[in-house]
Amino acid sequence: MLRAGDPGDASAGAFQAGLNNREGTSSMPASLKNDYLSAPDDELVGWAQKGDTEAFEQLVFRHRDKIYARAMMMMRNEQEALDLSQEAWVKSWQRLHQFQGDSSFATWMTRIVINLCLDQIRRQKKMRAESFEQIEEDLGGVERQMAVEHVNPTEGLEKDELRKRIDEAMAKLTEAHRTVLVMHEFQGLEYKEIAKRVDISIGTVMSRLFYARRRMASLLQGLRRERSE
Amino acid sequence: MKANFMSDRQLLEIMAYADGELDASRRREVEKRIAEDPSAAALHQELIAHSDLLRAHEPLGTVPETREFYWSQIQRRIAAEEQAAARAKAAKAPAFGWLRWLAPAIGVAAVALVVTYQQRPGPTVMAVGEASSMTFTSEADGVTISWIN
Repeated sequence: MLRAGDPGDASAGAFQAGLNNREGTSSMPASLKNDYLSAPDDELVGWAQKGDTEAFEQLVFRHRDKIYARAMMMMRNEQEALDLSQEAWVKSWQRLHQFQGDSSFATWMTRIVINLCLDQIRRQKKMRAESFEQIEEDLGGVERQMAVEHVNPTEGLEKDELRKRIDEAMAKLTEAHRTVLVMHEFQGLEYKEIAKRVDISIGTVMSRLFYARRRMASLLQGLRRERSE
Repeated sequence: MKANFMSDRQLLEIMAYADGELDASRRREVEKRIAEDPSAAALHQELIAHSDLLRAHEPLGTVPETREFYWSQIQRRIAAEEQAAARAKAAKAPAFGWLRWLAPAIGVAAVALVVTYQQRPGPTVMAVGEASSMTFTSEADGVTISWIN
């Protein structure tokens, strides 16, 4: 297991101090010290807030795949997702004292990574400007009038296969539509919260979300047709 | 079944209803529409079903790096940011910051000067012997003038 003081490591300051504190003078009981694997998240967070880097490391190991997956869903680029997921952990360490336990640690972390993804998307100027034409486009033409799907198009699929197909369908959405879909369905955010974070109107959030859902329904219908052929 | 006879607003309101985003009065209106219009009811059902489907099958991902390498990169980033923050803090400090240590000494010196000034004797005039000579001395100006008649 690598440590901040390993050869070639440039660490210094609070992170290094936390590491030293953990190894030497931590007030954590010895029985708990070796129990990172079984400790619940909130306990690990408490230790990490006192500077315990091994507790923080354990949190990273527990949630790294979820945080990476969320970034990947937003960015659709492995290197960007990897970079942003790591950046999220850095920010998390720096802001750990702000975590009050109002939500789960995993939810707090996914918020951080989503915000970083939104910042990155803004930097890349990938988000298109909001306009009435855009709203009309967001709502969709064909999808708006598409027949409502009564039969579960994914019936009979294994759970893993279904996840894969949903992921493939999401990759076919535009970034703007995927963003609101991820924030609503997986992050569980309300319209107004999405509007605030993405900096668009609630009307635009609704039209993009509607289109994204109809498009997903359409893509999953296509999947059903593929399977029946 | 087609839902295309509904206006954009009606479509969005059905979605907002499914998401629990409507206020009480709008909610009642949409509930009435769903009860009366089969296409509205079908759309409502579909939106809920697809939403449930997505939430239950969130795509997973696996970090494409080993656990140790991933963590070591995070460690290095944290350390680098801490170093950068320390450098920025140092750069913000004034270039002659050491002068602040002289402030107490300067204060003491100023007080001493004032006291000395107040206790300073004024110019003195004295006679020198009987030769009717006079001497004027100003300590402040460091000048002594003598008149001898």
